[in-house]
Amino acid sequence: MDARLRRVNKEIADCKNDKTSKVSIELVDNSPYHLVGSFDGPEGTPYEGGHYEVDIIIPESYPFQPVKMKFITKVYHPNVSSQSGAICLDILKDAWSPVLTLKSTLISLQSLLCSPEPNDPQDAEVAKHYMTSRSSFDETARYWAVTYAGAPRKSEQGSKDVDAEVAMAGLEKAHVDRFEALGFERAKVIDVLRRLNYRGANVPKISEDRIVEELLK
Amino acid sequence: MDVDVFDTDYKMTARGRGKLYEVDHDSLSQADIERVMQKDVDHIKGVLDVDGDSASILLRHFNWNKEKLLEKYMDNATAVNEAAGLALPERSPQPGRSPRPQSTGPTRTTRRSTAESSKSGKTKAILERISPPVEEPQSFVCGICFDDSQTKYLALSCEHRFCTECWNAYITSKVRTEAEQWITCMADGCSLVASNLFVQQCLKKHPKTWERFQELLVRHFVSSNHSLKYCPYPSCTYTVSCPSAASKSSLTSMVPIVTCGASASHKFCFGCAIDNDHRPVVCGVAKLWMQKCQDDSETANWIKSNTKECSKCQSTIEKNGGCNHMTCKKCKYEFCWVCMGPWSEHGTAWYSCNRYDEKASVDARDAQSKSRASLERYLHYYNRWANHEQSAKLSVELYAKTEKKMEEMQMTSDLTWIEVQFMKKAVDEVSKCRTTLKWTYAMAYYLDSGNQKELFEDNQRDLERAVEELSELIEQPLDPEVVPTLRQKVTDKTVYVQKRNEIVLEDTAKGFLEGRWQWNQSVEGFD
Repeated sequence: MDARLRRVNKEIADCKNDKTSKVSIELVDNSPYHLVGSFDGPEGTPYEGGHYEVDIIIPESYPFQPVKMKFITKVYHPNVSSQSGAICLDILKDAWSPVLTLKSTLISLQSLLCSPEPNDPQDAEVAKHYMTSRSSFDETARYWAVTYAGAPRKSEQGSKDVDAEVAMAGLEKAHVDRFEALGFERAKVIDVLRRLNYRGANVPKISEDRIVEELLK
Repeated sequence: MDVDVFDTDYKMTARGRGKLYEVDHDSLSQADIERVMQKDVDHIKGVLDVDGDSASILLRHFNWNKEKLLEKYMDNATAVNEAAGLALPERSPQPGRSPRPQSTGPTRTTRRSTAESSKSGKTKAILERISPPVEEPQSFVCGICFDDSQTKYLALSCEHRFCTECWNAYITSKVRTEAEQWITCMADGCSLVASNLFVQQCLKKHPKTWERFQELLVRHFVSSNHSLKYCPYPSCTYTVSCPSAASKSSLTSMVPIVTCGASASHKFCFGCAIDNDHRPVVCGVAKLWMQKCQDDSETANWIKSNTKECSKCQSTIEKNGGCNHMTCKKCKYEFCWVCMGPWSEHGTAWYSCNRYDEKASVDARDAQSKSRASLERYLHYYNRWANHEQSAKLSVELYAKTEKKMEEMQMTSDLTWIEVQFMKKAVDEVSKCRTTLKWTYAMAYYLDSGNQKELFEDNQRDLERAVEELSELIEQPLDPEVVPTLRQKVTDKTVYVQKRNEIVLEDTAKGFLEGRWQWNQSVEGFD
C-alpha cells in the first residue's frame, strides 16, 4: 500500500479510537486526502463551548511536506484570518516535521486559541484590537464563538442591547450611533471605526475630526 | 567572500584583443567547482581536525566563509557545532528510546545499517505498536509511515530512528521539491543535519536524486560566492567565474557578458538576468528599460501583483499562502509582506502597514499625469526598440531563406560552397547588430540631452543605416547576372557594419569607464 495512504488511514483510525483527546477527523468525500478536523474551543477562553471545524488537505508528498489547514468555522483570533480562515502557525510552514500528525497539529491549533501571538499576526486588525483592549477583544471573540461556533450564550450577555453588526466588529454601539446620527451610513461608520481601532484606551486618542475625515473619503 | 581568495584559485584567461566591451571570464565545470569546494573542505578539515563531512556542514552553515567559520569556531566550538546542526544542544528534548550520545566536539554521524541488524538476528519487528518506550530493539515501528514490517532503520547521531523508506522519501522531497541541500533530522524540533555520507546512503537506489543533491551543493557554493555565477541555461551545469564583475559598483562601468564552456550559445550577463546580451547599456539602465516596457504586459502584471523582491537580496518572491511574516528562502531575511520593512520592527508597530497612505497616493497621481506627457517620447524609443527585437527574432527565418539562396547561388553561378558563405556571415552580423541597436534605444531613452547624447545618436544612426542597407542587400531577389557584384557589395558592407558595431560598443564602453554618460533620471548605482 502507498505509504501516504497507509499513514493517513492509520491517523484517522487512531483518532477515532482515541476518546480522550476530543479531536475528530472526518472524510469530506471518499478521498482520504481531503478531511475535516474538529475540536472544541479550549476552556477558560472566549472560544469555550464552541465547536471548530478545520479544512484539511493532505498534499502529495505528505508527511514530508506540511499538511494544509484552514478554519472553516469563523474565528476572531489574531493568528487566524477573519475573512478566509487562513492560519499563521510555524508548524504549518518551516517548522513542520514528518513526525507531527493530523491529531497533534489539530491540538496545536487548539492551543493556539488559548495563546494568541499578536506580534506575529495573520489578521492585523484583529491583532490591533487584541493589543488595545483585551476585554473588548474577548467580548467580540465570544460573540463570534456564539454566532459561528455554537457556543452557548451566557445569561448576562443576553441582557445587553446587542447590535449584531456592531458586536461583530468589536465596537461600542454608542459610538456607532453617534456617527450615524451625523448622517453617515451605518456600514461605513462601522468600517471606519474598525479600521481606526476605535476601542478602549484608543477612544480618547482619536479625534472626532479624524473620524469624520475618514468618513468623508 | 573575498574576491582575491579566488583569484589565486582560478587561472585567468587572458584575452589578447582586450576590447573594452568584452570582459575577462573563465568557465568551470561542476567537477572544477567540486574540486574548489574539496580544497576548502580539506583546509577546514586540517585546521579544525574534523572529518570531511563535518567540515562540509560547517562550511555550508557559514556560506563557505572560511574566515568567519574559523573565527567563530575558535571562539566557541560547542556553540558553532550546535548551530551548524552537528551536535545536539545541551538540553534538547530527547526521545525516550535511547540514551543520548555524548556530544562534545564534532560528532560523527553514526548509522545503523541493515547489515548490522540482520547480523544480530533481528529479522521481523513485532507487530504491535508499543506506546511507552520499551527497550526492545527488535520491535521497531517507524513513527512516520507506521509500517511495522520494516526492519531497516536509520538514524543520525540523535538516535531518532526512522525506516529507510521514509528517510528516502523525506530526502527526495527536500531535494526534489524544495531544492534544499540542508537536510535536518525528521524528528520534531531536532536540528541535527544529515551528512553527505548519510544522504548518499539513503539515496543509494536513486542515483539521479543523489546527483541532484550534489548539484545543489555546488549551487549553494556558487551562490555564496560573488565572483561565481551558475549558467542560467536549462540543465547546464557550468559555472562562470568573473571576478571583475563581482561587486555591484563595477556594474556601472561595464557590461559583463560572458559565455560558459558548454556552448558558445550559452551567453548571459553576469550582472543581471535581463537579457543574454544587452550591450551597450549597463544592467541598471537595461533593468529600468525592461521594467518600463513590461509595465503593461500580462507577465509583468502577474509578477507585480503576485511577487515582491526581498528588500535585502532582491530575490523575487511569490507568496503562495500563509501569513505576512515572510522569511526569504535565500538570505533568511525576515520581513513584512505588506510594508516590506524588517519584521523585527513589527513587534510593536506593525499596525502602520495597513494604514492608508495619503501622501503616496498624491504622488502617484502626479506621476501619472507626468507619464502621460512623456508617453509620446517613450513610444518613439519603444517602437524602434521593439522593431529591432522583432527583426532579430525573424533572423531564424532569414537563416532558412539565406540557406536556400546560397544553394541557388551555387547552382546558378560558378561560386563554390565556401565562396557563398559571405551570405551566412552577413546574416550573422545583421542579427548581432540588431541586438546592439535594440539596446542603444534603451540607452538613448535614458541619456540626458546634450552633446554626448548627440554623438551617441550619430553613432547609432550610422550603424542603423548600414544595417538596413545590408539587410536589404541580402533579402533582394537573386539575379544570376549580378551575383559576383552582389558578393562584392555584401562582403564590403558586412565589414563596414561590423566596424560600425564595434565603434558603438567600444565608444559606449569607454564612456562608462570615463563616467561620460549622464542620465535623465536616477539609475541604480550611479550618483
